[in-house]
Amino acid sequence: MAEDAVQLNQDLWLAMAGTMVLWAVSGGLAILLGLIMSAGSLSGHRLWRLAARASVHFTRGVPTSLFVIAAGIGMMRLARAPELPRFYPGTAAAFQHVAWGIVLALALGSAGHLAEIFRAARQALGRYRLEQATVLGLSRFGRGALLARECAAIALPPTGARLVHHLHNTAFAALFPVTDLFGHVLAESNATFRVFYFTLLGCAIYVILGGLIWLFTRILEAALVPPATEPRKRTVIAWS
Amino acid sequence: MVLNLLFGLPGERPGGLVLTVLYFVASGLGALMLGFAYAAVGVILPWGSLPLQAASALLRGIPLLLLVFLLAHVPWLTTGGAGLAALLIYSFSHVGESLRSFLASYPRYLSEQARLMGIGPAREFLRLRMPWTLWRAWGALLTHWVSLLKDTGALVVLGIGELTTSAKVLSETSASYEHWLTVLVLAAALYLGTTLALIYGLKFAMGKAGKVMHREQAHA
Repeated sequence: MAEDAVQLNQDLWLAMAGTMVLWAVSGGLAILLGLIMSAGSLSGHRLWRLAARASVHFTRGVPTSLFVIAAGIGMMRLARAPELPRFYPGTAAAFQHVAWGIVLALALGSAGHLAEIFRAARQALGRYRLEQATVLGLSRFGRGALLARECAAIALPPTGARLVHHLHNTAFAALFPVTDLFGHVLAESNATFRVFYFTLLGCAIYVILGGLIWLFTRILEAALVPPATEPRKRTVIAWS
Repeated sequence: MVLNLLFGLPGERPGGLVLTVLYFVASGLGALMLGFAYAAVGVILPWGSLPLQAASALLRGIPLLLLVFLLAHVPWLTTGGAGLAALLIYSFSHVGESLRSFLASYPRYLSEQARLMGIGPAREFLRLRMPWTLWRAWGALLTHWVSLLKDTGALVVLGIGELTTSAKVLSETSASYEHWLTVLVLAAALYLGTTLALIYGLKFAMGKAGKVMHREQAHA
């Protein structure tokens, strides 16, 4: 009995680790793809801009579930699956390539949304602020870093919300032999018939993980937002 | 193949895109009505509704897949009913909060004008406040509805034969790589087409509604 409980705990930790790794890798990739797409959307080059807009519409218009199914079945159908080193905790070595496919699919599912958030944040800075950054005489990299910091105040809250949604989307990995939290809830519920217990446990863990992501982006926001964009106390003008 | 994606697999019709749209419309409309009720309670009782607001925030933190799975085990719900209930609750938790914030920002002077014209609070809510809120919140609602349309794909976990499930079954049983790819590209195109139709259809409808509103205001 005690051994079963220990095993259950170990499996739960492994499933949580699996979800976190899936989330972190696919989330990082989604941010990178989102930055590339938003840069393309704002580009002066017409072809580059059109390609970026098309990819944003495509990735926003197609459900993440379909991306995951396409990637999962595609990887499972590979005639000669490559032997990859174990990177995703709990997932068998023979299915590591499936996990990589799902990571790519999850990243595509969020990339378009993030690209729109980044594009809107940059545009919200306004023309004058962008021109101010140009006349400062900074290098291209320096100007980019300055603008990124200025955009952070606007982009971080919706990015955090999207990353929580992205965490929820990692549950689609359970459709394939890739270890994740939702898959663990499904497996334990079916094995023990304690559906309510395991589902509530899963809900609680997802809520906590979502809360941690929100907290992380909030801390990042506080650290990155330049003093000039912080809300100031209103000055009350006395009636004379 | 196209027919199977549009109307569902043989013996499981209606399914495919038709079922996706049915689930989307039923859950979207139901959530809109519940959302208005939630928003009204939130505005009338800002402090008293805090537990309700906390419950709504908690629901937003739960993945839709988990909600679908949980409701599928409620004994008195059918599989289809569980799917619909999950989408409804999920949509309500997002829509309710948007409507609450917009409903709360309804200008006080408009309420005062309604009272001067002898319009009671209930009639004012239905005839003036609700349309005003819907008009202001429609950008946020549209974003959510696009998300909801795509999120119907979560019903795949119950094997309900909507578009994602149909595409999954067809692609799993396809013999060749080309067939597998065609199924998924077609399903993606159907989702994309429906999303664009939803966006532009609603934009058109809102444009028409705006013109009618301006005309009525001009007459008044």
